[in-house]
Amino acid sequence: MNDISSQIPAEAAGTRQPERRFGEPLLTVENISLSFGGLQALTDISFDILEQEIRAIIGPNGAGKTSMLNVINGFYHPQKGTITYKGNIRRTMRPHMAAAQGIARTFQNVALFKGMSTLDNIMTGRLLKMHNLRAPETGVFGLDQVLRWGAGALDFVTQCLYWGPNEKEETRQRAYCEEIVDFLEIQAIRKTPVGRLPYGLQKRVELARALAMEPELLLLDEPMAGMNVEEKEDMSRFILDVNEEFGTTVALIEHDMGVVMDISDRVVVLDYGRKLADGRPDEVRSDRGVIDAYLGVAH
Amino acid sequence: MFYREAGQFKTSYAADQAIYPIRQDKIGILILFGFSLLAIPFIAPIYWLNSILIPFLIFSLAALGLNILTGYCGQLSLGTGGFMACGAFFSYKLATAMPDTNILIVFLLAGLGTALVGVLFGLPSLRIKGFYLAVATLAAQFFLIWMFNKFSWWTNHSPSGVISAPPRAVFGDIDVTSASASPEAKYVFLLLLVSFLALIAKNMVRSRIGRSWMAIRDMDIAAEIIGIRPMLAKLSAFAVSSFFIGVSGALWAFTYSGSVEALAFEINRSFEVLFMIIIGGLGAIMGSFLGAAFIVLLPIALDTIPLLLGLPLSVETVAHLRLIIFGALIIFFLIVEPHGLARLWQIGKEKLRLWPFPY
Repeated sequence: MNDISSQIPAEAAGTRQPERRFGEPLLTVENISLSFGGLQALTDISFDILEQEIRAIIGPNGAGKTSMLNVINGFYHPQKGTITYKGNIRRTMRPHMAAAQGIARTFQNVALFKGMSTLDNIMTGRLLKMHNLRAPETGVFGLDQVLRWGAGALDFVTQCLYWGPNEKEETRQRAYCEEIVDFLEIQAIRKTPVGRLPYGLQKRVELARALAMEPELLLLDEPMAGMNVEEKEDMSRFILDVNEEFGTTVALIEHDMGVVMDISDRVVVLDYGRKLADGRPDEVRSDRGVIDAYLGVAH
Repeated sequence: MFYREAGQFKTSYAADQAIYPIRQDKIGILILFGFSLLAIPFIAPIYWLNSILIPFLIFSLAALGLNILTGYCGQLSLGTGGFMACGAFFSYKLATAMPDTNILIVFLLAGLGTALVGVLFGLPSLRIKGFYLAVATLAAQFFLIWMFNKFSWWTNHSPSGVISAPPRAVFGDIDVTSASASPEAKYVFLLLLVSFLALIAKNMVRSRIGRSWMAIRDMDIAAEIIGIRPMLAKLSAFAVSSFFIGVSGALWAFTYSGSVEALAFEINRSFEVLFMIIIGGLGAIMGSFLGAAFIVLLPIALDTIPLLLGLPLSVETVAHLRLIIFGALIIFFLIVEPHGLARLWQIGKEKLRLWPFPY
């Protein structure tokens, strides 16, 4: 297990550098078109998300932002276009496969598991990282599959008995979740059923659950919707911290332009399913098309 | 005053994740279990054992099974009776075909067989939800009962369609099944078996598999985003649930009634078990037991109370009144606490922690 505190780079404590160094493109979408029957949701969209950057997707209501996120994490299957993730062209996939590849997501209207406690919600986020038993790799054709099935069955038995490897694994993952709880400052609500929490905290728990997946790409759908200024500041700080401390690439949709311009490295603007502009926040801000889309054009 | 966890500090996550993290709870449950195991067989009258405690334990197990599927995984099912019948007939066939096999192994195999049937009828859950799924599980209910009635192979060609459980021993030579076994032995056997299975259920719901069920129940889209495979989660819930229900059906045939026909597991049985978990509490292991106790005890209490009070009521009036009061009480409980008796129990404990102060 990774110890979070050891991953903090020394310079992270300092101020944010205006010119940060980004890596290769983590995810590239090319010529994506998506339609539902006669409704064209996305038309010929291309952009990329570089490693370790914070990429904002903005646009007026109904511009196709959420559809774009749904395409990225496998909910929608575009009719045209390709998605390249970590250098490989991605086939059509289900959301749980995207999760296995390191894509985590939060939702516009909080999608927590309402009947479970905060801690259980976060632990559920660790599900893919939990292995009570691992089958040994022999490389013999067929045998590996049999061993995997056997390990799965044994794993099930240890869960039934809450014994040995299962108890150890539960404790180990709990320790990891507690670090996230500390990081997001939600210690006090650990055991509270999330249905009872106020909205702002629910958003934070949802972020915690996404972080528990140790994602490489974190998709945030309106993380600050419906929050007051103080909560927005907290959330912005958490997003920046996640990005800097864990090196997580973030793609976010947000309507609060102040926040978007402050925290994002590059912005892509959509309107009516088409890409209007793409670039650094200051470039986008002065773009004629973007201003027209937001303010309307005088005829 | 006496129920307060002040001073009980947990120094490890393992201690914090225990089933009963509060010491008073742990002691309480041990006392209850010890009393049930060591005292009740000696002091309870035969009537109590045969007509109340044994059906209570069997219904608890069935409710536990349905609670895993409906309460924890959120898949509504009306096929409980059918799956109980599966357990009963599978175990009958197995026990008569292999007379020398330990009865526990017979029950295990019957449960596994029922789990397989459950998975088969759970397949529609991958496509449909809620009431529509409930209707699909009705198919299981009617099909299975029809099958056991139709083909006399299941009853070893008994002309009446009734199966009579053969006597089988478990601890040495003490019979625990069939009508000839002593009620005390049957009770102790059931208590141990049901407690063990309840412990397993509790362990499952606090492990990975249980969390994946609850995630599917609460928000299936978010569950899939996290990496849970809906097919695996739903079908495993169907399998585990059917296993429990199948074992309870086998126990019904082998220990409670001794001889049984398929009609004993009709649709009414499914509703009865469903009411148990609704009243007891969906998504609570404890709720399965409370709900079973409520449904088993209430009719008996309603029958005896007028007698105790010496009210001059005719037998028919009592029978009608029983139905009315029974229905009214169910509605009352659901209005007062929609989350069932388990939630009431929880609230009671929270109040007790603060007592004698209001907050």
